[in-house]
Amino acid sequence: MDTFQGIEIDSLSNIREAIKEGVFSLPDLVDHYLATAEKHQDLNAYVSLFSAEAKERANNLQLAFETDPTAAGPLFGAVLSIKDNICLAGAEVTAASKILEGFESLYSATAVERLLEAGAIIIGRTNCDEFAMGSASEHSAYGPVKNADAPDHVPGGSSGGTAVSVQCGSCLIGLGSDTGGSVRQPASFCGLTGLKPTYGRISRHGLLAYASTFDQIGLIGRKAEDLALCLSVMAGPDEYDMTAAKEPLPASEIKKTAGSKRFCYFDFCVDHAGLQREVQDAFRRKLEALKKAGHIVEQVEFPWRDYLVPAYYVLTTAEASSNLSRYDGVRFGRRSPQAKTVEEVFDLSRTEGFGAEVKRRILLGTFVLSAGYYDAYYGRAQKVRRLISDHNQELFQKYDAILAPTSPILPWKHGDKDQDPISVYLADIYTVYANLTGIPAVSIPLERDSESGLAIGMQIMTNQFEEDTLFSLIALENNLPEK
Amino acid sequence: MRVHMKYETVIGLEVHVQLNTRSKAFCGDATDFGASPNSQVSPISLAHPGTLPRMNTRQIDSAIKLGLALGSQFPEEIRFDRKNYFYTDLPKGYQITQDAKPICQGGSLPIRLKEGYRDIRIHHVHMEEDAGKSIHDQKEAHSLVDLNRAGVPLLEIVTEPDLRSGAEVDAFMTAVRQLVRYLDISDGHMEQGSLRCDVNVSVRLKGESVYGERCEIKNLNSMKFARQAIKHEFKRQTELLENGQKVSSQTRQFHPENGTTSPLRSKEDAPDYRYFPEPDMPPVPLEMEKIKSLAKEAGTLPWEYYNTFHDTYGLSAEAARILSETKETADHFLRLVQQSENKQKQIAKTGSNILIQHILPRFPLLEGFPLKPAQTAQFCQILVAKIIPTRAAIDVLLPAWIKAPESDPEQLIAELRLNKQTDTDELRRALTAIVQAHPKEKAIYKGGKRNLLGFFMGQALRKVGKHHDPGEVRKLLVELLEA
Repeated sequence: MDTFQGIEIDSLSNIREAIKEGVFSLPDLVDHYLATAEKHQDLNAYVSLFSAEAKERANNLQLAFETDPTAAGPLFGAVLSIKDNICLAGAEVTAASKILEGFESLYSATAVERLLEAGAIIIGRTNCDEFAMGSASEHSAYGPVKNADAPDHVPGGSSGGTAVSVQCGSCLIGLGSDTGGSVRQPASFCGLTGLKPTYGRISRHGLLAYASTFDQIGLIGRKAEDLALCLSVMAGPDEYDMTAAKEPLPASEIKKTAGSKRFCYFDFCVDHAGLQREVQDAFRRKLEALKKAGHIVEQVEFPWRDYLVPAYYVLTTAEASSNLSRYDGVRFGRRSPQAKTVEEVFDLSRTEGFGAEVKRRILLGTFVLSAGYYDAYYGRAQKVRRLISDHNQELFQKYDAILAPTSPILPWKHGDKDQDPISVYLADIYTVYANLTGIPAVSIPLERDSESGLAIGMQIMTNQFEEDTLFSLIALENNLPEK
Repeated sequence: MRVHMKYETVIGLEVHVQLNTRSKAFCGDATDFGASPNSQVSPISLAHPGTLPRMNTRQIDSAIKLGLALGSQFPEEIRFDRKNYFYTDLPKGYQITQDAKPICQGGSLPIRLKEGYRDIRIHHVHMEEDAGKSIHDQKEAHSLVDLNRAGVPLLEIVTEPDLRSGAEVDAFMTAVRQLVRYLDISDGHMEQGSLRCDVNVSVRLKGESVYGERCEIKNLNSMKFARQAIKHEFKRQTELLENGQKVSSQTRQFHPENGTTSPLRSKEDAPDYRYFPEPDMPPVPLEMEKIKSLAKEAGTLPWEYYNTFHDTYGLSAEAARILSETKETADHFLRLVQQSENKQKQIAKTGSNILIQHILPRFPLLEGFPLKPAQTAQFCQILVAKIIPTRAAIDVLLPAWIKAPESDPEQLIAELRLNKQTDTDELRRALTAIVQAHPKEKAIYKGGKRNLLGFFMGQALRKVGKHHDPGEVRKLLVELLEA
């Protein structure tokens, strides 16, 4: 586990205690993280480290802390990485795309601004799939990210760099984005906890858009209480994002819950052609353990199983095809040096700037919005989304939470699925549900595969804006007697 | 030419009204006309990665005001859509507009023609944002882009094909300009591009009920060009039909240098804009309360003023038109008349004469006219009651009062010695002097040469000038000569 100066630094409370006791200082901790990041360069988790800025900020925060310990922000001691699709003023942000080569953001994302105000330090930006499109962090202009548990395996994606930055011990928490599982699946692949809050819980201002009605900033870490604290800091309405919810903020601390809870899981979560035996067994064992502990655990039918992934890809690619139109080589980012006419500026800059997976999704999205196809694809997918959302509301009348595996498959070896994008899309089956319905979902470590040692994760999902319940259920699950 | 008499022109308009909101449609950037290029652009206007739009309530209010004036229906929700296309002056690669559910549906606008008012039906009015400006011919091998205008809020008024000539288009545009100024939602300057129109023209045999194939002529930025384009299209299309050819549905471009049009693209080549709901701005309910309160605030409309002036006060059509031209003039006149409890028609007649003949020529649109309606009313009462001679009132009192608007008119009359009573004594003295100075002429007059009165009148008017009513002068002279 992560230790520094003999202290387990896997939770913010331990870190703050150690700084308070003088075991180490915040600048010491930042140096340790930076050294760890350097040591694990081969994992390719970071696109760049903000070494000088992080050190300077650590010095200032430490000094302020020593002057007046009571004035320290709630996130004093928390060092975070951010995915390369989240803006920090003055820092490059490229969404791991060649098309944004050298682009520096003029402003900070609302989420980042709130973290900094609360005393957090941003240590670097992390590698990911280009424009958050991918499930393995292999589609990156900076090359693939490697899983620290097994470097020949993928760390998941698209927030793979964020997951690995935490996994290798170079920061406490990482910020990612989750459009269809991009925070939860890499957390699961790296044996960590990954939270996708309710859609709209955290402002998207400063998050490079993939699919506007799905995107949500999420968190990867080790301790649920740290994620809850960070979430409470970042959450809330924002004048720069109309979709940022005005709902009451989630609590900064996890509330204990007791008694019998009502869980359900979909039939296809235990019985599905694409479900790997190891995952299936681990998930079943957990269901049994919950039952044994006195909880209600019921299987429910889900009539739209086969529409989940198609509806998700139709809608997200449609939105993406439009959201990515601004990358045209005219005002910022990379302009093709070949271009001689206005048309060529658009054509060549985009042809040269975007990678294959992004192009695939732009083409797909353009197609489903085209005259004559709109109703058959986009219109129908919207109807599916509405049906699923309505059904979801009914479910939460009866149950406290929905359980599901995070990924139907274990982390695979680099390059194994290059020729088969559809199978990778289909592996999103358990995660896209939360994005289609907008509900919060967390992936928590379940167990490790006995043979390969690779991590297996499970999701807990609660109704919209019920992150507090979600966190209390994580705590409850952690304390199951079988564990 | 006679052959053309068989045909009639059918015209529909798409009028773009640039609103006078202080900030842009979807961000806080300023909208001042004539600012130096690219000085009114924030990261949001520039479509920097991670930026999102937000609604401008003033744009919505402006649209509702216009809809109320036109008698339109309003939807339950405000929705925006995206229109996708690439252009250098379209930073996001899509325009935020309203496609499926425009804010105003139906309604009509009365236009003033020689034969009276006629209602032109409105298909709908929708909200959208303007694009920037591209200049391709100013710098060799470069295109220049100014994004100040990008994101400026527009309303697009789409008419039914109810117009039949360039003169009617002229009348429609005049009515739109007048209305938007009355509502204070736009400055209505056509020359600055605040009002722009695309014209849809088709021709058909008179008496025919089916419309012909239409051509759209884009971006006519002056009425003169619009009239020329319509004339040219009528000629071109009737000639085609006369020669047994068909008019094909096209978008055409107008050439100001020779008044002709040429094809830009055919309808089959029309770009597929892939409209879909704007995912960054979820639908917002349009509250009945909001509409009601805007309706309550709404002032009198130009045609309502016209009707009052013409029908109730008995003004001529021309006078009613001039006085209802702007809200300021109409308001001034109406309040002027309403000041008087009786003799309203007489006051109205006097007031309209004074305003049209003596005040408006000096103070166009009443700009800078310092007298309040109550004062103008008082002035009219002086005239109607013949307290001082009309000429004296108009030529002496009015200018003096305008110079010192705070003055009491009674006092001014006294100071300027315009008072009729003292006047008569003075006049008598002056005329007596004239008669006494010409004893010979007096004798001849008395001898029967009555036409010598003309000689005395000439002398008298030269001396006492316009301070006195000529009738009065004549009466007194006769009395003195015959004494």
